[in-house]
Amino acid sequence: MIHLIGQLLQQDNEIGMLLQTLFSVAFLVYLFYAQRIQSMTMLRQIEYTLRKIKRLKDESRVEAINSIKEIGKPERDPTPQVDRILEHFPIWPVNMDPAGIVGKTEKIILTYERVHESEVKSITPEAEEHDRRNLETLVGISQGLNQYYKVIRHFYLLGKKTMNIYVIMQIHMILPFIVKEIEALSAAVQAFKDGVPIGDSVGPIVAAKLMNGNEIRDVAKEMVAADVSYEGRTLIVTKAKGPGSSVGKPGDAISNILDEYKDKVKIIITVDAAGKLEGEAVGEVAEGVGAAIGGIGVEKWKIEEAANKYNIPLHAVAIKQGQEHVIAPLVEPLFEATEKALASVKALVLEYSEEGDIVVVAGIGNTVGVAQ
Amino acid sequence: MKRMSDATATAAGANMNWVAVAAIVLVGALAMFSIYKGFEAFGNENMEEAFMYLVIGASGFVAIGYSFFRARSVSKESLEMKKTDVITTLECPQCNLKRVRSFQRGDYLFKSDEPCTRCEGNMLITRIHTRKEEKKS
Repeated sequence: MIHLIGQLLQQDNEIGMLLQTLFSVAFLVYLFYAQRIQSMTMLRQIEYTLRKIKRLKDESRVEAINSIKEIGKPERDPTPQVDRILEHFPIWPVNMDPAGIVGKTEKIILTYERVHESEVKSITPEAEEHDRRNLETLVGISQGLNQYYKVIRHFYLLGKKTMNIYVIMQIHMILPFIVKEIEALSAAVQAFKDGVPIGDSVGPIVAAKLMNGNEIRDVAKEMVAADVSYEGRTLIVTKAKGPGSSVGKPGDAISNILDEYKDKVKIIITVDAAGKLEGEAVGEVAEGVGAAIGGIGVEKWKIEEAANKYNIPLHAVAIKQGQEHVIAPLVEPLFEATEKALASVKALVLEYSEEGDIVVVAGIGNTVGVAQ
Repeated sequence: MKRMSDATATAAGANMNWVAVAAIVLVGALAMFSIYKGFEAFGNENMEEAFMYLVIGASGFVAIGYSFFRARSVSKESLEMKKTDVITTLECPQCNLKRVRSFQRGDYLFKSDEPCTRCEGNMLITRIHTRKEEKKS
Protein backbone atom coordinates (compact mmCIF):
# COMPACT_ATOMS: atom_id res chain seq x y z
CA MET A 1 0.00 0.00 0.00
CA ILE A 2 2.70 2.49 1.10
CA HIS A 3 4.73 1.34 -1.87
CA LEU A 4 1.82 2.13 -4.20
CA ILE A 5 1.21 5.55 -2.61
CA GLY A 6 4.94 6.23 -2.90
CA GLN A 7 4.70 5.44 -6.59
CA LEU A 8 1.93 8.02 -6.92
CA LEU A 9 4.38 10.77 -5.99
CA GLN A 10 7.16 9.66 -8.30
CA GLN A 11 7.79 11.96 -11.20
CA ASP A 12 8.64 9.23 -13.70
CA ASN A 13 5.03 8.54 -14.63
CA GLU A 14 2.18 10.78 -15.74
CA ILE A 15 0.14 10.54 -12.57
CA GLY A 16 3.19 11.24 -10.42
CA MET A 17 3.93 14.42 -12.33
CA LEU A 18 0.33 15.52 -12.13
CA LEU A 19 0.22 14.95 -8.38
CA GLN A 20 3.57 16.66 -7.81
CA THR A 21 2.28 19.71 -9.69
CA LEU A 22 -0.96 19.68 -7.71
CA PHE A 23 0.92 19.44 -4.40
CA SER A 24 3.27 22.27 -5.39
CA VAL A 25 0.35 24.49 -6.41
CA ALA A 26 -1.52 23.63 -3.21
CA PHE A 27 1.60 24.41 -1.17
CA LEU A 28 2.08 27.79 -2.84
CA VAL A 29 -1.61 28.67 -2.50
CA TYR A 30 -1.56 27.73 1.18
CA LEU A 31 1.71 29.60 1.74
CA PHE A 32 0.19 32.90 0.64
CA TYR A 33 -3.51 32.43 1.32
CA ALA A 34 -3.64 30.25 4.47
CA GLN A 35 -4.89 33.08 6.66
CA ARG A 36 -7.42 34.15 4.05
CA ILE A 37 -8.74 30.60 3.72
CA GLN A 38 -9.01 30.35 7.50
CA SER A 39 -10.81 33.70 7.62
CA MET A 40 -13.24 32.56 4.95
CA THR A 41 -13.95 29.32 6.81
CA MET A 42 -14.61 31.23 10.04
CA LEU A 43 -16.77 33.79 8.23
CA ARG A 44 -18.81 30.95 6.76
CA GLN A 45 -19.44 29.49 10.21
CA ILE A 46 -20.36 32.92 11.60
CA GLU A 47 -22.71 33.38 8.67
CA TYR A 48 -24.53 30.13 9.40
CA THR A 49 -25.00 31.19 13.01
CA LEU A 50 -26.08 34.64 11.93
CA ARG A 51 -28.80 33.17 9.73
CA LYS A 52 -29.96 31.02 12.61
CA ILE A 53 -30.11 34.03 14.92
CA LYS A 54 -31.94 36.08 12.30
CA ARG A 55 -34.59 33.40 11.96
CA LEU A 56 -34.98 33.10 15.74
CA LYS A 57 -35.15 36.85 16.19
CA ASP A 58 -37.77 37.17 13.44
CA GLU A 59 -39.81 34.30 14.87
CA SER A 60 -39.71 35.72 18.40
CA ARG A 61 -40.80 39.12 17.08
CA VAL A 62 -43.73 37.55 15.25
CA GLU A 63 -44.66 35.54 18.36
CA ALA A 64 -44.58 38.71 20.46
CA ILE A 65 -46.73 40.64 17.98
CA ASN A 66 -49.23 37.78 17.66
CA SER A 67 -49.47 37.35 21.43
CA ILE A 68 -50.01 41.10 21.86
CA LYS A 69 -52.77 41.01 19.25
CA GLU A 70 -54.36 37.89 20.77
CA ILE A 71 -54.19 38.82 24.46
CA GLY A 72 -53.95 42.61 24.49
CA LYS A 73 -56.44 43.21 21.67
CA PRO A 74 -55.03 46.60 20.59
CA GLU A 75 -57.14 48.89 18.43
CA ARG A 76 -54.38 49.36 15.86
CA ASP A 77 -51.67 47.10 14.48
CA PRO A 78 -48.97 47.03 17.23
CA THR A 79 -46.13 46.11 14.81
CA PRO A 80 -44.60 49.62 14.40
CA GLN A 81 -44.63 50.17 18.17
CA VAL A 82 -43.12 46.73 18.86
CA ASP A 83 -40.37 47.47 16.33
CA ARG A 84 -39.72 50.75 18.11
CA ILE A 85 -39.52 49.02 21.52
CA LEU A 86 -37.06 46.49 20.09
CA GLU A 87 -34.61 49.33 19.52
CA HIS A 88 -34.87 50.78 23.05
CA PHE A 89 -31.65 50.91 25.03
CA PRO A 90 -30.43 52.04 28.45
CA ILE A 91 -27.31 54.18 28.91
CA TRP A 92 -25.51 53.13 32.07
CA PRO A 93 -24.01 55.79 34.34
CA VAL A 94 -20.37 56.72 34.11
CA ASN A 95 -18.18 54.70 36.50
CA MET A 96 -15.06 56.87 36.61
CA ASP A 97 -16.32 58.19 39.94
CA PRO A 98 -18.05 55.13 41.41
CA ALA A 99 -19.43 56.85 44.53
CA GLY A 100 -23.23 56.75 44.34
CA ILE A 101 -23.30 54.63 41.19
CA VAL A 102 -25.83 52.16 42.64
CA GLY A 103 -28.41 54.91 43.08
CA LYS A 104 -27.75 56.23 39.58
CA THR A 105 -28.00 52.72 38.10
CA GLU A 106 -31.24 52.11 39.95
CA LYS A 107 -32.64 55.35 38.59
CA ILE A 108 -31.83 54.26 35.03
CA ILE A 109 -33.36 50.81 35.65
CA LEU A 110 -36.54 52.27 37.10
CA THR A 111 -36.93 54.70 34.21
CA TYR A 112 -36.24 51.95 31.67
CA GLU A 113 -38.79 49.66 33.33
CA ARG A 114 -41.37 52.44 33.51
CA VAL A 115 -40.96 53.28 29.82
CA HIS A 116 -41.09 49.59 28.84
CA GLU A 117 -44.19 48.97 30.96
CA SER A 118 -45.97 52.03 29.66
CA GLU A 119 -45.14 51.22 26.02
CA VAL A 120 -46.42 47.65 26.34
CA LYS A 121 -49.46 48.81 28.30
CA SER A 122 -50.46 51.16 25.50
CA ILE A 123 -50.66 48.27 23.02
CA THR A 124 -52.30 45.77 25.38
CA PRO A 125 -55.41 47.57 26.66
CA GLU A 126 -57.42 44.38 27.24
CA ALA A 127 -54.68 42.28 28.89
CA GLU A 128 -54.89 41.32 32.55
CA GLU A 129 -52.07 42.42 34.83
CA HIS A 130 -50.19 39.08 34.89
CA ASP A 131 -50.62 38.57 31.13
CA ARG A 132 -49.26 42.05 30.52
CA ARG A 133 -46.19 41.25 32.65
CA ASN A 134 -45.60 38.14 30.53
CA LEU A 135 -45.96 40.15 27.34
CA GLU A 136 -43.47 42.72 28.64
CA THR A 137 -40.92 39.97 29.15
CA LEU A 138 -41.75 38.42 25.78
CA VAL A 139 -41.00 41.74 24.09
CA GLY A 140 -37.83 41.94 26.22
CA ILE A 141 -36.71 38.56 24.85
CA SER A 142 -37.23 39.75 21.28
CA GLN A 143 -35.21 42.82 22.21
CA GLY A 144 -32.38 40.59 23.47
CA LEU A 145 -32.35 38.44 20.33
CA ASN A 146 -32.42 41.58 18.20
CA GLN A 147 -29.37 42.93 20.05
CA TYR A 148 -27.45 39.66 19.67
CA TYR A 149 -28.24 39.60 15.97
CA LYS A 150 -27.10 43.16 15.43
CA VAL A 151 -23.83 42.76 17.35
CA ILE A 152 -22.87 39.51 15.57
CA ARG A 153 -23.84 40.97 12.22
CA HIS A 154 -21.66 43.99 13.01
CA PHE A 155 -18.58 41.83 13.61
CA TYR A 156 -19.39 39.60 10.63
CA LEU A 157 -19.68 42.52 8.21
CA LEU A 158 -16.66 44.27 9.72
CA GLY A 159 -14.61 41.09 9.38
CA LYS A 160 -15.82 40.57 5.83
CA LYS A 161 -15.04 44.16 4.91
CA THR A 162 -11.52 44.17 6.37
CA MET A 163 -10.77 40.41 6.05
CA ASN A 164 -8.85 40.97 9.27
CA ILE A 165 -8.47 37.58 10.92
CA TYR A 166 -8.28 39.10 14.40
CA VAL A 167 -11.63 40.86 14.01
CA ILE A 168 -13.19 37.63 12.71
CA MET A 169 -11.57 35.48 15.42
CA GLN A 170 -12.97 37.67 18.19
CA ILE A 171 -16.53 36.73 17.35
CA HIS A 172 -15.70 33.21 16.12
CA MET A 173 -14.10 32.22 19.44
CA ILE A 174 -17.09 33.20 21.56
CA LEU A 175 -19.68 31.96 19.06
CA PRO A 176 -20.48 28.64 20.86
CA PHE A 177 -21.23 30.52 24.08
CA ILE A 178 -23.34 33.11 22.29
CA VAL A 179 -25.28 30.33 20.56
CA LYS A 180 -26.02 28.77 23.96
CA GLU A 181 -27.35 32.09 25.25
CA ILE A 182 -29.44 32.60 22.14
CA GLU A 183 -30.90 29.11 22.33
CA ALA A 184 -31.83 29.80 25.96
CA LEU A 185 -33.51 33.06 24.93
CA SER A 186 -35.47 31.34 22.15
CA ALA A 187 -36.66 28.65 24.58
CA ALA A 188 -37.99 31.43 26.80
CA VAL A 189 -40.45 32.58 24.13
CA GLN A 190 -42.76 29.62 24.79
CA ALA A 191 -42.49 30.08 28.56
CA PHE A 192 -43.45 33.75 28.58
CA LYS A 193 -46.03 33.43 25.84
CA ASP A 194 -47.96 30.83 27.82
CA GLY A 195 -46.92 31.79 31.37
CA VAL A 196 -45.02 28.58 32.14
CA PRO A 197 -42.67 28.61 35.18
CA ILE A 198 -39.00 28.72 34.15
CA GLY A 199 -35.74 27.50 35.68
CA ASP A 200 -35.26 30.84 37.42
CA SER A 201 -38.65 30.38 39.12
CA VAL A 202 -37.27 27.84 41.60
CA GLY A 203 -36.68 30.51 44.27
CA PRO A 204 -40.26 31.85 44.11
CA ILE A 205 -41.58 28.24 44.06
CA VAL A 206 -39.77 27.47 47.33
CA ALA A 207 -41.16 30.68 48.85
CA ALA A 208 -44.66 29.95 47.52
CA LYS A 209 -44.59 26.46 49.02
CA LEU A 210 -43.87 28.04 52.39
CA MET A 211 -46.35 30.90 52.19
CA ASN A 212 -49.26 29.19 50.38
CA GLY A 213 -52.40 29.30 52.52
CA ASN A 214 -51.19 32.19 54.69
CA GLU A 215 -52.29 35.81 54.56
CA ILE A 216 -50.41 37.70 51.87
CA ARG A 217 -49.44 41.38 52.06
CA ASP A 218 -47.51 43.76 49.80
CA VAL A 219 -44.08 44.76 51.09
CA ALA A 220 -42.52 46.59 48.13
CA LYS A 221 -43.14 47.18 44.43
CA GLU A 222 -44.30 43.85 42.95
CA MET A 223 -43.24 42.04 46.16
CA VAL A 224 -45.47 40.10 48.55
CA ALA A 225 -44.82 38.58 51.98
CA ALA A 226 -46.51 36.26 54.44
CA ASP A 227 -45.89 35.46 58.09
CA VAL A 228 -45.49 31.71 58.44
CA SER A 229 -45.20 29.86 61.76
CA TYR A 230 -42.61 27.11 61.81
CA GLU A 231 -41.35 25.20 64.87
CA GLY A 232 -42.00 28.17 67.19
CA ARG A 233 -40.30 30.66 64.84
CA THR A 234 -41.95 33.24 62.61
CA LEU A 235 -40.77 33.08 59.03
CA ILE A 236 -41.39 36.20 57.00
CA VAL A 237 -41.42 34.77 53.53
CA THR A 238 -41.18 37.11 50.56
CA LYS A 239 -41.24 36.67 46.80
CA ALA A 240 -42.16 38.59 43.66
CA LYS A 241 -45.90 38.90 43.10
CA GLY A 242 -47.09 36.18 40.73
CA PRO A 243 -48.23 34.61 38.57
CA GLY A 244 -47.18 37.18 35.97
CA SER A 245 -43.54 37.51 34.94
CA SER A 246 -41.71 39.60 37.53
CA VAL A 247 -38.56 39.50 39.62
CA GLY A 248 -39.88 42.27 41.85
CA LYS A 249 -37.63 44.32 44.08
CA PRO A 250 -36.33 41.86 46.68
CA GLY A 251 -33.81 44.41 47.92
CA ASP A 252 -36.58 46.85 48.80
CA ALA A 253 -38.71 44.06 50.29
CA ILE A 254 -35.97 42.81 52.63
CA SER A 255 -34.97 46.35 53.49
CA ASN A 256 -38.58 47.25 54.39
CA ILE A 257 -39.03 44.07 56.46
CA LEU A 258 -35.81 44.74 58.39
CA ASP A 259 -36.82 48.37 58.98
CA GLU A 260 -40.05 47.03 60.49
CA TYR A 261 -38.64 44.20 62.62
CA LYS A 262 -35.10 45.57 63.07
CA ASP A 263 -32.73 43.32 65.02
CA LYS A 264 -35.52 40.92 66.01
CA VAL A 265 -34.68 39.18 62.76
CA LYS A 266 -32.07 36.49 63.46
CA ILE A 267 -31.12 35.41 59.95
CA ILE A 268 -31.95 36.13 56.34
CA ILE A 269 -32.10 33.20 53.91
CA THR A 270 -32.13 33.87 50.18
CA VAL A 271 -33.06 31.05 47.79
CA ASP A 272 -32.11 31.42 44.16
CA ALA A 273 -31.17 29.58 40.98
CA ALA A 274 -27.43 29.38 40.43
CA GLY A 275 -25.35 28.50 37.40
CA LYS A 276 -23.96 24.99 37.54
CA LEU A 277 -20.47 24.07 36.49
CA GLU A 278 -20.02 21.43 33.79
CA GLY A 279 -20.19 18.05 35.50
CA GLU A 280 -22.58 19.18 38.24
CA ALA A 281 -26.08 17.72 38.15
CA VAL A 282 -29.12 19.82 37.28
CA GLY A 283 -31.09 20.41 40.47
CA GLU A 284 -28.19 20.02 42.86
CA VAL A 285 -28.84 22.08 46.00
CA ALA A 286 -26.00 23.84 47.81
CA GLU A 287 -25.90 26.05 50.88
CA GLY A 288 -23.68 29.06 51.37
CA VAL A 289 -23.46 32.46 52.96
CA GLY A 290 -24.13 35.87 51.44
CA ALA A 291 -26.96 37.18 49.31
CA ALA A 292 -27.97 34.72 46.60
CA ILE A 293 -29.24 37.06 43.93
CA GLY A 294 -28.14 37.84 40.39
CA GLY A 295 -28.90 40.77 38.17
CA ILE A 296 -27.03 43.98 37.74
CA GLY A 297 -26.26 44.31 41.46
CA VAL A 298 -28.64 46.99 42.75
CA GLU A 299 -30.93 44.59 44.65
CA LYS A 300 -27.97 42.61 46.00
CA TRP A 301 -26.40 45.82 47.24
CA LYS A 302 -29.63 46.78 49.00
CA ILE A 303 -29.89 43.38 50.73
CA GLU A 304 -26.26 43.58 51.87
CA GLU A 305 -26.70 47.17 53.09
CA ALA A 306 -29.84 46.29 55.08
CA ALA A 307 -28.29 43.14 56.57
CA ASN A 308 -25.19 45.09 57.49
CA LYS A 309 -27.23 47.92 59.06
CA TYR A 310 -28.95 45.52 61.48
CA ASN A 311 -26.03 43.10 61.73
CA ILE A 312 -28.00 40.10 60.50
CA PRO A 313 -26.23 37.09 58.98
CA LEU A 314 -27.05 36.21 55.38
CA HIS A 315 -27.48 32.57 54.40
CA ALA A 316 -28.04 31.29 50.88
CA VAL A 317 -29.55 28.24 49.25
CA ALA A 318 -28.71 27.73 45.59
CA ILE A 319 -30.40 25.43 43.10
CA LYS A 320 -27.93 24.57 40.36
CA GLN A 321 -28.91 24.66 36.72
CA GLY A 322 -27.40 25.10 33.29
CA GLN A 323 -27.58 28.27 31.28
CA GLU A 324 -30.06 26.56 28.98
CA HIS A 325 -32.48 25.99 31.86
CA VAL A 326 -32.62 29.45 33.41
CA ILE A 327 -35.29 30.98 31.19
CA ALA A 328 -36.60 27.82 29.53
CA PRO A 329 -39.76 26.03 30.78
CA LEU A 330 -39.05 24.37 34.12
CA VAL A 331 -37.67 20.83 33.84
CA GLU A 332 -38.73 18.09 36.27
CA PRO A 333 -35.37 17.72 38.11
CA LEU A 334 -35.54 21.42 38.98
CA PHE A 335 -39.08 21.12 40.23
CA GLU A 336 -37.99 18.18 42.40
CA ALA A 337 -35.05 20.28 43.62
CA THR A 338 -37.42 22.85 45.11
CA GLU A 339 -38.39 20.22 47.72
CA LYS A 340 -34.72 19.66 48.58
CA ALA A 341 -34.18 23.42 48.79
CA LEU A 342 -37.21 23.74 51.05
CA ALA A 343 -35.73 21.08 53.34
CA SER A 344 -32.44 23.02 53.36
CA VAL A 345 -34.23 26.24 54.30
CA LYS A 346 -36.03 24.51 57.16
CA ALA A 347 -32.78 22.93 58.38
CA LEU A 348 -31.05 26.34 58.32
CA VAL A 349 -33.95 27.88 60.27
CA LEU A 350 -33.71 25.19 62.96
CA GLU A 351 -29.93 25.38 63.16
CA TYR A 352 -29.41 29.14 63.24
CA SER A 353 -32.48 30.43 65.10
CA GLU A 354 -34.31 29.68 68.29
CA GLU A 355 -37.97 29.53 69.21
CA GLY A 356 -39.56 32.98 69.18
CA ASP A 357 -37.07 34.32 66.62
CA ILE A 358 -37.97 35.91 63.32
CA VAL A 359 -36.34 34.65 60.12
CA VAL A 360 -36.63 36.27 56.70
CA VAL A 361 -36.83 33.88 53.74
CA ALA A 362 -36.67 35.40 50.26
CA GLY A 363 -37.42 33.42 47.10
CA ILE A 364 -35.39 35.21 44.45
CA GLY A 365 -36.10 34.91 40.74
CA ASN A 366 -38.78 35.32 38.13
CA THR A 367 -42.19 34.29 39.39
CA VAL A 368 -43.80 33.61 36.01
CA GLY A 369 -46.45 30.90 36.40
CA VAL A 370 -46.10 30.86 40.20
CA ALA A 371 -48.77 32.35 42.45
CA GLN A 372 -48.40 32.70 46.21
CA MET B 1 -29.73 50.93 6.14
CA LYS B 2 -31.00 47.83 7.90
CA ARG B 3 -32.21 46.32 4.65
CA MET B 4 -28.86 46.98 2.98
CA SER B 5 -26.93 45.12 5.66
CA ASP B 6 -29.33 42.19 5.53
CA ALA B 7 -28.92 42.02 1.78
CA THR B 8 -25.13 42.02 2.13
CA ALA B 9 -25.23 39.04 4.48
CA THR B 10 -27.50 37.06 2.17
CA ALA B 11 -25.49 37.91 -0.91
CA ALA B 12 -22.33 36.72 0.82
CA GLY B 13 -24.02 33.46 1.64
CA ALA B 14 -25.14 32.97 -1.93
CA ASN B 15 -21.59 33.57 -3.15
CA MET B 16 -20.16 30.99 -0.74
CA ASN B 17 -22.70 28.39 -1.83
CA TRP B 18 -21.86 28.93 -5.49
CA VAL B 19 -18.14 28.40 -4.78
CA ALA B 20 -18.92 25.21 -2.83
CA VAL B 21 -21.12 23.83 -5.62
CA ALA B 22 -18.48 24.66 -8.26
CA ALA B 23 -15.78 22.92 -6.21
CA ILE B 24 -17.95 19.83 -5.75
CA VAL B 25 -18.73 19.67 -9.49
CA LEU B 26 -15.03 20.01 -10.35
CA VAL B 27 -13.92 17.34 -7.88
CA GLY B 28 -16.75 15.08 -9.05
CA ALA B 29 -15.72 15.44 -12.73
CA LEU B 30 -12.09 14.72 -11.92
CA ALA B 31 -13.07 11.71 -9.80
CA MET B 32 -15.23 10.35 -12.61
CA PHE B 33 -12.40 10.83 -15.09
CA SER B 34 -9.99 9.11 -12.74
CA ILE B 35 -12.28 6.13 -12.30
CA TYR B 36 -12.73 5.90 -16.06
CA LYS B 37 -8.95 5.88 -16.49
CA GLY B 38 -8.75 3.24 -13.73
CA PHE B 39 -11.09 0.90 -15.59
CA GLU B 40 -9.24 1.57 -18.83
CA ALA B 41 -5.95 0.62 -17.20
CA PHE B 42 -7.64 -2.42 -15.67
CA GLY B 43 -8.74 -3.48 -19.16
CA ASN B 44 -5.13 -3.14 -20.35
CA GLU B 45 -4.12 -5.35 -17.38
CA ASN B 46 -1.99 -2.54 -15.95
CA MET B 47 -2.99 -3.29 -12.34
CA GLU B 48 -0.77 -0.76 -10.55
CA GLU B 49 -1.99 2.17 -12.63
CA ALA B 50 -5.60 0.96 -12.35
CA PHE B 51 -5.29 0.83 -8.57
CA MET B 52 -3.87 4.36 -8.39
CA TYR B 53 -6.60 5.85 -10.58
CA LEU B 54 -9.34 4.05 -8.68
CA VAL B 55 -7.98 5.23 -5.31
CA ILE B 56 -7.86 8.84 -6.56
CA GLY B 57 -11.42 8.57 -7.94
CA ALA B 58 -12.80 6.98 -4.79
CA SER B 59 -11.12 9.62 -2.63
CA GLY B 60 -12.83 12.32 -4.69
CA PHE B 61 -16.24 10.77 -4.09
CA VAL B 62 -15.52 10.31 -0.38
CA ALA B 63 -14.63 14.01 -0.17
CA ILE B 64 -17.91 14.95 -1.91
CA GLY B 65 -19.89 12.66 0.40
CA TYR B 66 -18.23 14.23 3.43
CA SER B 67 -19.12 17.75 2.20
CA PHE B 68 -22.77 16.72 1.78
CA PHE B 69 -22.76 15.12 5.22
CA ARG B 70 -21.43 18.32 6.78
CA ALA B 71 -23.85 20.53 4.90
CA ARG B 72 -26.76 18.32 5.98
CA SER B 73 -25.76 18.40 9.66
CA VAL B 74 -25.45 22.19 9.58
CA SER B 75 -28.88 22.70 8.01
CA LYS B 76 -30.46 20.06 10.26
CA GLU B 77 -29.36 21.67 13.50
CA SER B 78 -30.43 25.12 12.42
CA LEU B 79 -33.38 27.36 12.76
CA GLU B 80 -36.02 25.75 14.91
CA MET B 81 -37.55 27.53 17.83
CA LYS B 82 -37.83 25.02 20.66
CA LYS B 83 -41.29 23.96 21.72
CA THR B 84 -41.37 21.67 24.72
CA ASP B 85 -44.23 19.62 26.05
CA VAL B 86 -45.32 20.96 29.45
CA ILE B 87 -47.56 19.08 31.89
CA THR B 88 -49.71 20.28 34.77
CA THR B 89 -50.45 18.19 37.85
CA LEU B 90 -53.64 18.93 39.78
CA GLU B 91 -54.46 17.58 43.24
CA CYS B 92 -57.66 17.76 45.21
CA PRO B 93 -56.90 18.78 48.80
CA GLN B 94 -60.11 17.09 49.99
CA CYS B 95 -60.09 13.63 48.35
CA ASN B 96 -56.42 13.55 47.23
CA LEU B 97 -57.38 12.82 43.64
CA LYS B 98 -54.40 13.46 41.38
CA ARG B 99 -54.67 14.29 37.71
CA VAL B 100 -52.01 15.04 35.13
CA ARG B 101 -52.82 16.84 31.90
CA SER B 102 -51.12 18.97 29.27
CA PHE B 103 -50.40 22.55 30.29
CA GLN B 104 -53.04 25.06 29.23
CA ARG B 105 -52.53 28.78 28.94
CA GLY B 106 -53.72 30.34 32.19
CA ASP B 107 -52.36 27.52 34.38
CA TYR B 108 -50.09 28.56 37.23
CA LEU B 109 -48.78 26.96 40.39
CA PHE B 110 -51.22 27.08 43.33
CA LYS B 111 -54.14 28.03 41.11
CA SER B 112 -57.35 26.54 42.46
CA ASP B 113 -60.36 26.93 40.22
CA GLU B 114 -60.84 23.60 38.49
CA PRO B 115 -63.61 21.44 40.00
CA CYS B 116 -62.67 17.99 41.27
CA THR B 117 -64.21 15.18 39.25
CA ARG B 118 -64.59 12.95 42.31
CA CYS B 119 -65.77 15.27 45.10
CA GLU B 120 -67.20 18.78 45.44
CA GLY B 121 -63.84 20.45 46.05
CA ASN B 122 -61.58 22.47 43.79
CA MET B 123 -58.35 21.02 42.43
CA LEU B 124 -55.07 22.82 43.13
CA ILE B 125 -52.24 22.99 40.58
CA THR B 126 -49.26 21.55 42.44
CA ARG B 127 -46.74 20.91 39.69
CA ILE B 128 -45.92 22.42 36.30
CA HIS B 129 -42.86 21.22 34.42
CA THR B 130 -41.76 19.81 31.08
CA ARG B 131 -42.56 16.21 30.23
CA LYS B 132 -39.65 13.88 30.78
CA GLU B 133 -38.09 13.03 27.41
CA GLU B 134 -38.12 9.33 26.56
CA LYS B 135 -34.62 8.02 25.98
CA LYS B 136 -34.11 6.99 22.38
CA SER B 137 -32.99 3.36 22.17
